[in-house]
Amino acid sequence: MSCEELRDHYEQYALGLAEEPERAEIRAHLKRGCEVCMAEFRQARELTTLLSGAAAEAQPSGKLRRRILASVGVEPRRLGWWAPFWAVAAVMSIFAAAYFSGREKEFAEQLANARAYERNQDIQLTRLNEAFAILNGPETTVTSFGAGQAQPPKGKVFVNPSQGVVLFASNLPQAQSGKTYEMWLLPKKGNPVPAGLFQSETDGTALYVRRGAIDLNATSAVAVTLENAGGAQAPTSTPVIVAALGRG
Amino acid sequence: MTLFPLLLALDVKEEADLIARLQRRDPQALAELYDRYGRLAYSLILRVVRDTGVAEDLVQETFLRVWNRVQGFDAERGAVGPWLLAVARNRAIDYLRSTTGRARNSLELEAAEHPALYSDMEKDLLLSDKARRVKAALQKLSPKQREVIELAYFEGLSQSEMAERMGEPLGTVKTWVRTALKNLREELDAAVAI
Repeated sequence: MSCEELRDHYEQYALGLAEEPERAEIRAHLKRGCEVCMAEFRQARELTTLLSGAAAEAQPSGKLRRRILASVGVEPRRLGWWAPFWAVAAVMSIFAAAYFSGREKEFAEQLANARAYERNQDIQLTRLNEAFAILNGPETTVTSFGAGQAQPPKGKVFVNPSQGVVLFASNLPQAQSGKTYEMWLLPKKGNPVPAGLFQSETDGTALYVRRGAIDLNATSAVAVTLENAGGAQAPTSTPVIVAALGRG
Repeated sequence: MTLFPLLLALDVKEEADLIARLQRRDPQALAELYDRYGRLAYSLILRVVRDTGVAEDLVQETFLRVWNRVQGFDAERGAVGPWLLAVARNRAIDYLRSTTGRARNSLELEAAEHPALYSDMEKDLLLSDKARRVKAALQKLSPKQREVIELAYFEGLSQSEMAERMGEPLGTVKTWVRTALKNLREELDAAVAI
């Protein structure tokens, strides 16, 4: 088969969908270094790579990074100004182990809790840095929602066309087990676009940062729905938040 | 810390340096790689396996696989982000196939993540105008067209498996696949032409 005849099949090949005889033909063209097919296949792989953008943005736990680095032999990172506290905690643990038999476990748990707290602080700091960058942008606009309503979620949405969206919310109902909040960008025409998953705090507040450029001319609102864990490709429930952009 | 979106916009030299450091077994380079692509790999894998614990295990497997195979990667010409995403997708689909009893084609998956395939691909592809266009074009597809593309990409289904899953004739599924891919390719071509 000629390269022209194969033209409509490169994407299927890159996605693993090509069938015979096209699959064998493309494979043969690539194997002999056919430049036309190599270029077409490269473009097809670019397309399939970009299909990953259809997945809702989600945030792994803070533990994952440390797990991955530990698996290649990286020592836990420096403790910085916490170091004296860790040193004291460690000495206390050793002291307790020696003099108070049976207390080791309790101290170890305290130490683990302190480390978990520090990891959580790291994540919070990152989010705040991201939020701060957007809030400081000269092009950033702010929209309030829920004002004047007693019970529903209230808050503000900050939108920077080149950097992204920051959502501050309060009065959010606690998401049930297996549920998560999902942000949507509502285009003026077409379907809502998934913009990431987040959870509220136990006091009903949430700070969520969605990085990435936004076309304000084509976007009418930012909304939030409750979805099953893992998110949805289209909203499946009534929005708990709708912030119409451009109406401050 | 995950500063992925902020740091993904690398210049070409910086990414080449990062790959070279990975090849010298610099663990800090792996930390930087994770900060740039960890969230994206996790989002992709979670979409496939729908389980946060499994997703984190597979992200770890993905980064270790890249760490162990980076010697074969072309530091000057290769695009590490697309390669890493291919590895992530393959790990997730391989897991999905193993748990659902579907035939596993590990050889085919291995071939799709060969580092040489990611030479001469745009290094900033994931943040390019092409990425925005393809994402927008996916939203413009009909629901059935989008469904077949997602079943192929996120679940690794063949066209016959899709027809069975959707209860639709194979010919109809093939038409949806062909039309959807044609529309997406046209969007990509338009981005290249600008």
